Amino acid sequence: MNAEPKTCSATTEADPVSETTTVPMWLITLALVLLFLGAWVFDLRGGWFEPKVYGPYTSVADAGRFQPPPPDGPDVKRGKVLFEQNCALCHGNDGMGKPNQAPPLAGSEWVLATGVNRLIRIPLVGLNGPIKVNGQDWNLQMAAMGAQYSDDQLSDLLSYIRSAWGNKASPVTPEQVKKVRDDLKGRSQAYTVDELMKLPE
Amino acid sequence: MKSAATIFLAAFLALSASWAAFVLAPQLQLGREPQAKATGTDNLYPVARPGLAKQGAEVYRSLGCVYCHSQQVGQEGVKCEVILTEAGTNASVTLAALAKLNTELGQPQTLAALPKVLMPVADVPTAVPIIKAIAAVGAKAEARVTPVGADISRGWGLRRSVAQDYAYDSPVQPGTRRFGPDLANVGLTKPDVNWHLRHLYAPATEIKGSTMPPYRFLFEKHKRGAKPSPDALQFADEPGFEIVPTDDARALAAYLVSLRADAPLVEAPFTAPTPAAPSTNAPVATNRVASLPYTASELLKLPESSK
Ligand code: HEC
Ligand code: HEC
Repeated sequence: MNAEPKTCSATTEADPVSETTTVPMWLITLALVLLFLGAWVFDLRGGWFEPKVYGPYTSVADAGRFQPPPPDGPDVKRGKVLFEQNCALCHGNDGMGKPNQAPPLAGSEWVLATGVNRLIRIPLVGLNGPIKVNGQDWNLQMAAMGAQYSDDQLSDLLSYIRSAWGNKASPVTPEQVKKVRDDLKGRSQAYTVDELMKLPE
Repeated sequence: MKSAATIFLAAFLALSASWAAFVLAPQLQLGREPQAKATGTDNLYPVARPGLAKQGAEVYRSLGCVYCHSQQVGQEGVKCEVILTEAGTNASVTLAALAKLNTELGQPQTLAALPKVLMPVADVPTAVPIIKAIAAVGAKAEARVTPVGADISRGWGLRRSVAQDYAYDSPVQPGTRRFGPDLANVGLTKPDVNWHLRHLYAPATEIKGSTMPPYRFLFEKHKRGAKPSPDALQFADEPGFEIVPTDDARALAAYLVSLRADAPLVEAPFTAPTPAAPSTNAPVATNRVASLPYTASELLKLPESSK
């Protein structure tokens, strides 16, 4: 066995040691410029993580520019919802009324009246006693089914019944409702047809 | 390994940061999309698929339709136009008003075929004064918002797909490849269940030169007996046999016709084509009945105090 003695020679190279080197300045600048550009593009089109923003729109306001405009005057779509929640039970979704429950609104001369002074009073305080609708006699009672509504809501609702099911009459404005409500001066007793007829249309 | 802890920590940080950014953040943003109201209506969108269609989504998934079909429509832009829908009673007054907007529009042929595109505008708010000016003379105009893009012009949808469209899908199957057409709105363009059944059984009978593979194993082929099955498909070239769709085929077809993203949403606005007015048998405004306590002529004498 020819064992070589393990010697530590002074001539062997030392293990390489990593030196700390500085990152070149241009690389840092490039990274910062890229970061800036990225943030800029995001700011322009990203909508700031808004879940309702999708291209080609860049913000909620941008998409808002393409929404249909709100309807001019009373909103009959909202009126339809109110009607179906509160009046349709008796008058029917189709406005045809129900035997021994409520007269029809479709084609009713009360609904289609040119002036709406009387019509507005019916849901506000109710209606009692004999009434003739579409040539048919009714003698029932209706409570103040619309008293809880705001002027806006009642104008939507009445505009709806004046324009649905083939009815074609002008919309009812919130101002008209307000005027009637003021005129009622807190009255809560239901009207009779005779009383209504004494009022101007 | 003297820096094991550092390496572990660095790896953990890197993975959790990307998990937070790519999984957690989108989940927080869109994971619980509530039903929304379609613009201008009270209809909630989307609605859950009917039971059969829901099973069909699983069939779609298991057969790998997603490898050839995407279910996501892209949109590149949007355009807004003012369209004239009603000419009004007095054509010359309407034309005079239109001429004020643009002299070319003052020609009589503008009113020849309605609805007519009057002019492109930047957005809806710019259209509103124009519409008001037209409404002032008794005619009617509206702003029409139309998405544009390659997918839209191929007829694959009315607008782009948004997260809301997939609110009831689990898993969502938007797909990545388009060997076949996009199916996001196939229920709109091809609403016939039987078309889908025939197409699945033999694509080439419905689309000439179709390269879609047939899915015959979704059907049973019987000798036609004395009593033909009511569900059998009608193929002229298979005399004496009847092709009966299995439950899977029926579910898949029900799923396909349920694919429709046709609601305008806040995040993806467009003007829905106006549906034909439902026919109504409600009576039209009648004249006052003479036997009422007052007559029409009496009424007209009354002041219209709140009009
Ligand atoms: C509980 C059933 C009931 C409900 C709910 C109801 N009505 Fe009536 N309504 C009646 C009855 C009954 C009459 C007839 C009263 C009479 O005989 O004097 C009537 C009459 C009317 C009339 C006049 C007659 C006609 O047909 O044109 C109007 C207008 C009217 N209702 C509007 C409304 C509106 C608006 C609402 C919802 C806010 C409403 N009603 C809710 C039962 C109801
Ligand atoms: C190998 C790719 C491929 C696979 C897998 C595939 N399809 Fe197709 N599909 C096509 C091609 C190509 C077309 C276009 C030709 C045609 O309409 O037949 C098409 C068309 C369609 C159409 C008609 C779309 C239209 O708007 O005309 C429907 C629906 C459809 N495929 C449904 C499916 C269903 C469901 C599955 C899974 C059971 C499926 N496809 C699997 C390639 C494929």
